[in-house]
Amino acid sequence: MDSSAIEKIIKEIEQFTPSHESAHVGRVTQVGDGVVAIDGLSKAVMSEIVIFEEGKGKKLSDAMQQQGELYGLILNLEEDGVRATILGDSARVSEGMTVKSTGKVLSVPSGEELLGRVVNALGEPVDGKGPFKNTTMMPVERQSYGVIDRKHVSVPLQTGIKAIDALIPVGRGQRELIIGDRGTGKTTVAIDAIINQRNEPEATRPICIYVAIGQKESKTARLVQQLREEGAMDYTIVVDAPASAPAALLFLAPFSGVAIGEYFMDKGRDVLIIYDDLSKQATAYRQLSLLLRRPPGREAYPGDIFYLHSRLLERAARLSEEKGGGSITALPIIETQEGDVSAYIPTNVISITDGQMFLTTDLFNKGIRPAIDVGISVSRVGGDAQTKAMKGVAGGLKLELAQFRDLEAFMQFASDLDKATADRIASGQRMVEVLKQKNGAPIPMEKQVAALFAANNKFFLDVPVNKVSETEVQFVAFLDAQYKTTLAEIKKTGLLSDDSKKAITTAMGEFRLAHPEVFTAAK
Amino acid sequence: MEESYAQALWKVIQAGTPAHKAVQGLTETLRAHGRISLSPRIAKAFARIAERESAHIGAVLTVAREKDQHHAHTKVVKMLADMGVEVKDLKTEVDDTLIGGWRLEGRGTLIDASYKKHLLDIFSSVTGA
Repeated sequence: MDSSAIEKIIKEIEQFTPSHESAHVGRVTQVGDGVVAIDGLSKAVMSEIVIFEEGKGKKLSDAMQQQGELYGLILNLEEDGVRATILGDSARVSEGMTVKSTGKVLSVPSGEELLGRVVNALGEPVDGKGPFKNTTMMPVERQSYGVIDRKHVSVPLQTGIKAIDALIPVGRGQRELIIGDRGTGKTTVAIDAIINQRNEPEATRPICIYVAIGQKESKTARLVQQLREEGAMDYTIVVDAPASAPAALLFLAPFSGVAIGEYFMDKGRDVLIIYDDLSKQATAYRQLSLLLRRPPGREAYPGDIFYLHSRLLERAARLSEEKGGGSITALPIIETQEGDVSAYIPTNVISITDGQMFLTTDLFNKGIRPAIDVGISVSRVGGDAQTKAMKGVAGGLKLELAQFRDLEAFMQFASDLDKATADRIASGQRMVEVLKQKNGAPIPMEKQVAALFAANNKFFLDVPVNKVSETEVQFVAFLDAQYKTTLAEIKKTGLLSDDSKKAITTAMGEFRLAHPEVFTAAK
Repeated sequence: MEESYAQALWKVIQAGTPAHKAVQGLTETLRAHGRISLSPRIAKAFARIAERESAHIGAVLTVAREKDQHHAHTKVVKMLADMGVEVKDLKTEVDDTLIGGWRLEGRGTLIDASYKKHLLDIFSSVTGA
């Protein structure tokens, strides 16, 4: 031990004044499956944190070896005791153990220091980068802001994904559900949205919070690595409640995530929070509720399962200027089974959110990625937040794609189709290709606008379908190199002016002249 | 199920019914409902309730060494009065892991004035554990 540490200890001992404060205590009467029955604690309140006294009967040296305090969270107040869930290793709790009341409801640390860090559901760092020094404690359960404190959604949150930003736009403060079967790219969409925030000016760049609920540690580690490589961890916080964590932590993780986000929102900042995924949180809550002997309802979920998600998602908001103008945009993820959106949890969350993007296995297997089914995906409030430039180019897109889907079935009779129908199919096929996008490659708004403007003006009609995506990427790169000022103007003003339109049209012609080999498809 | 029967039995006895009468009444009811096999479990649940209730009456004073008992007693007299515990209901135990000082627990209250607790407090404030 170095001399400074010894000096510190001596100073602590000199300044130490023993307290004889009395604590309100109870006793563990039953423990099992992460839930304890506690006798006593008659003054306890719901969601209060209790501390299990592990040191009793242990020698000082053994007590010092313990891995920090073991906490519990009170979830049931009963006639002659309380029931709590253990927020840690339940093997450390034994019958007869003394439980101390803290008088505090569960809170997690939040602050600038958390940026770039990975924390658990209790806000404790789990990335080995040491403890936090300067944080503010935020209550995990908090009443959401009321109508007076809110403002309508009007500022776009760019995800960098063409299909979303053009057709299912998301605004800051919105709750947009990402729903689909396993392996359809739900997490990819969310991660791309986080990565794309690096294109935002630093002053208005949202703080991103990714809440991993019941995910494999390897997956979370890979995502963190990806975010780090893309430079997105600088403005991102990861809340990790892995599959191996107790059900209580899986249930708490989204609330901890939003509590961390509220710190920034209250300071007037914008926040983007991803809950990946709420199906697993619902399952964890069902497990807890059954162990707490609460009456089971549909699919054995407890009666308050709707409230669990509604109170969480209601905390996403755009605040009025008086309240600082901050926002929390929530992108909850729900995993469906065999595309069944009419199951209990999916319908609940669909009804709570302001829209949903539906990802399907069929589209994914067809190679259409992101596999968003734009026909049944909606954004109820995001349209108001779209930039004028995007609104202008995306206006007829949904209709065109819908008409294409109707005509798609006739594609096999291509030779018998009239010219108008054949043209519509050809255009639709190319539009689908333009909307395809590789994962981890979000595109800034101005480039999306330029690409969609070109697509609307039949630029890709002479390009073979299988080369459209590639050509579109090349065209955007061409614009980036030769028409920087035009792109910058669209970005700055959010408008597609006549001059910009003219410039892009000129660029289309120049690109066509430079790459005649690409435009070989027969009309 | 057994918890509810035990709870009912406890309440009936607390209300003044003689214990043997209450037990007899319970046995008859159980037999009539075909639940007599629950009896051993009800007895265990009853014992747990009795233990719990008695804990609500008294208090336990723990000291590190037997010779500390007298000193600790004098220290806790006022606290016992505040807790509503009579001195006759105070049990004393010895636990050498406390190192020194004393620890009073009862009626849902814990006052820990042991050296071990103080040393652990210092340890955690220094190490941040």
